[in-house]
Amino acid sequence: MGSAQTLNRSMSLRESSSKHWDEADFRVVFLQHYTRIVGILVRLLGDLSPAEEVANDAFWRLYRQPSLQIDGNVGGWLYRTATNLGIDALRAAGRRRQREEAAGKLVHQGATTGPLDDVLREEKCRRVRAVLAAIKPAQAQLLILRASELSYKELAEALDVKMSGIGTMLNRAEEEFRNRYLALHPNKGDL
Amino acid sequence: MTCTNIDDGILRAHLDDELAGTELAELSQHLASCANCRARFEKLGAKTAQTGVLLTTLAPAGDVTAINSAVAYGQFRSEFGTSDEPQASWISRLFAPRWRPAWGLAAGAVVVAVLVGVSPVRIWAQRVLAMLRVQKIQVVTIDPTTLMSGSEPDSRPYKLVNQFIADNVVVTMDPGKPDIVSSMAKAAQLAGYPVRTIGSLGAPQSIEVNGEAAFQMTVNRDRIEMLLDEVGRSDIRIPESANGALIAVHIPKTVISMYGDCPARHGHTISDTQSRAEALAERKMERMASMNNTNCTYLIQAPGPTVSVPPDLNMSEIAEAALELAGMSPAEAHSFCQTVDWSSTMVVPIPRNTSSYETVSVDGVQGTLITETLTQGNRYSLLWIKNGVIHSLAGHGNSSDALALAASLR
Repeated sequence: MGSAQTLNRSMSLRESSSKHWDEADFRVVFLQHYTRIVGILVRLLGDLSPAEEVANDAFWRLYRQPSLQIDGNVGGWLYRTATNLGIDALRAAGRRRQREEAAGKLVHQGATTGPLDDVLREEKCRRVRAVLAAIKPAQAQLLILRASELSYKELAEALDVKMSGIGTMLNRAEEEFRNRYLALHPNKGDL
Repeated sequence: MTCTNIDDGILRAHLDDELAGTELAELSQHLASCANCRARFEKLGAKTAQTGVLLTTLAPAGDVTAINSAVAYGQFRSEFGTSDEPQASWISRLFAPRWRPAWGLAAGAVVVAVLVGVSPVRIWAQRVLAMLRVQKIQVVTIDPTTLMSGSEPDSRPYKLVNQFIADNVVVTMDPGKPDIVSSMAKAAQLAGYPVRTIGSLGAPQSIEVNGEAAFQMTVNRDRIEMLLDEVGRSDIRIPESANGALIAVHIPKTVISMYGDCPARHGHTISDTQSRAEALAERKMERMASMNNTNCTYLIQAPGPTVSVPPDLNMSEIAEAALELAGMSPAEAHSFCQTVDWSSTMVVPIPRNTSSYETVSVDGVQGTLITETLTQGNRYSLLWIKNGVIHSLAGHGNSSDALALAASLR
């Protein structure tokens, strides 16, 4: 798992010009963060291929950023942008599913087959993702990044907030998650 | 530490092993001796564990770390090619720190307000869009103190606006660096429309032609509302109908002529480390700064920008939100929006406390004269639209000075 150290190292990298990234610098940043970012996005989106797609989008946006916009905090910028894009994709997928269900195109989502445990786990994942798509994006972002084992320091850098406020923000986000979970999935006994 | 200064935030940090040093020592000591706080800590721990289990369910089943990032990088390069793509830089520079006084947090409002121009006529990019074109100008007074509160470079709203722009705005046409030309005839030739001069001031000190610019953005309601929450304006809501709307703005070539003793500007050579957009932004800043020079007059000519929006987008509702953000009361914003034809009007916000405006007759049409009272004297800005070209005459002096200069246009 990446660490604050990796995050900091990439932060010290600067663009060689304000117009384009130096290819070598960009490659270093890509190799440093790609796996972890895809890991976070797989949690959000459930599958590797949409996760990789969104990760590439985030890196492409990074590639086009002038240094000023990212304040030198490349790692933080990447985690923030990738999760923003991931949450947007998750919410869009939710809206699409709702439309399809309303149009009667989607009969039942529980199409997963395999051992019962896997099926149940997959359904639980769907419930969690539906809740993440329903709460405020900023809160979903915080929860997914924390669940992906970012330290408070990394969270503060990615979300551009004070480290001392992270605990309170996490409590609030979890409370919101909990309330929404119970509202969306009552009687599931998960909470 | 006492019970009163131990909030759930610090307990949570302790739970997450994120405390160290004296903070950790003091809290541990307190928890050992205070049953009440210990109970709080345990209760928080139990709740956190429950949600933690649910969120952990999302952990990838397969081994993501097995992904070969070097291979991924190769795929990324082949998919996305190299650098000759539209740059996001130009628009982002508008919101760069040096521009903050002019834009600042208003950026969100401005992006929306820029859209507030504009009569459904044409098909654009396979989607039927309403093409809006500026035909008249309407001034609205706002209270800038409310919208400037989040404009410091380090403030979160400011960074959020930047991030929002980075995520949602795509520059499709970069204006590049302005062309400095030697005569009005050359300017007209480059710009592609007749260009006028202020007769009574003689030859302009300098003339520049700015390239065409275009950008587009998708309205992301969640993100805009998140921004509004952040600046403490959760009361302002973006209409559902606006969500996902693609808005495209096109700004034609602009001719700027300067008269009198305008401050010398830096050379126009662009260094390697300075993008064309950077150079442009810098020049605009110089222009703004030079407004302090009392003997300098500007005439800006620009065909009205066009804004393409989905035909069902309710511009009035969006404009109301933007005006509220800019400091108008909801009632004021609502009544103002009722009076404006959003398909053809460019709204110019001016600060309420230092500026005043009046409608004047200029160049055979109706124009708007904005006067700003400054410590070093009055500054005017006279705006009017003639033959589809927006004219803006700016300088130091009174309204009569402005009207006399405008009357000498040829």
